[in-house]
Amino acid sequence: MLEAALEHLVRGIVDHPDDVRVDMQSGRRGRTLEVRVHPDDLGKVIGRGGRTARALRTVMAGVGGRGLRVDVVDVDR
Amino acid sequence: MTGSAPELTADSAGATEGGDPVPAPAPAAETPVNGRQRIADLEQEGEIAADYLEALLDIVDMDGDLDLDVEGERAVVAVVGEGLELLVGARGETLEALQELTRLAVLQKTGVRSRLMLDVGGHRARRRAELRELATAVAARVRAGGQPEKLKPMTPFERKVVHDLIATLDGVASESEGEDPQRRVVILPAG
Repeated sequence: MLEAALEHLVRGIVDHPDDVRVDMQSGRRGRTLEVRVHPDDLGKVIGRGGRTARALRTVMAGVGGRGLRVDVVDVDR
Repeated sequence: MTGSAPELTADSAGATEGGDPVPAPAPAAETPVNGRQRIADLEQEGEIAADYLEALLDIVDMDGDLDLDVEGERAVVAVVGEGLELLVGARGETLEALQELTRLAVLQKTGVRSRLMLDVGGHRARRRAELRELATAVAARVRAGGQPEKLKPMTPFERKVVHDLIATLDGVASESEGEDPQRRVVILPAG
């Protein structure tokens, strides 16, 4: 459910919605939602000064609880 | 006014509330403002926002109705219902973040920056009433005592509510100081 929520939020703000992927990783440090987007959309998801990434984190923490982290993964391809 | 220059830059580059007594940036020159067209555009903004938010509510299994309106020069989108507190958050921070994402979703679809106002669970209406009461009381003290008074740090929306209220009162003025998230309104005596 949390993966789907984040995927929806990100898909709505990028040029390549079909390239959005979200995976949940559970580790010792808690749960992390990893977001992968088309390389051209990286700037959009991070935003000026990290503002958009921060907004995504805030909304997801609101919905999923304080411990929930969101990582925007910068894939090297 | 303290630190108005950087904030102007931030406002014109981003989609903040324009929470301080700085003239709103003029609408983009390429849209000749034909009133009816403008309202249609704002209504369209609201519909795009509503689609984005409805799908989110669906995914997280929350019940909420979407109310759309146009107030002045902006689209107003309200998620109405019970049990929406998680989308408001402490001091409305989740609501502000969701508003920012919703504006970006509108920008993505229309290519035009949106200043739409999002409310969830009546949070803004409640906060507006509280802040007006607070600002009225502080203004009376400042007018009587002649000493400026600083309010607690507030969001751009909250600061705008205070500035708008103070602007209607005689004998007091307001300005903002500091940087977000510590930016706060100062109410001071005036002519």
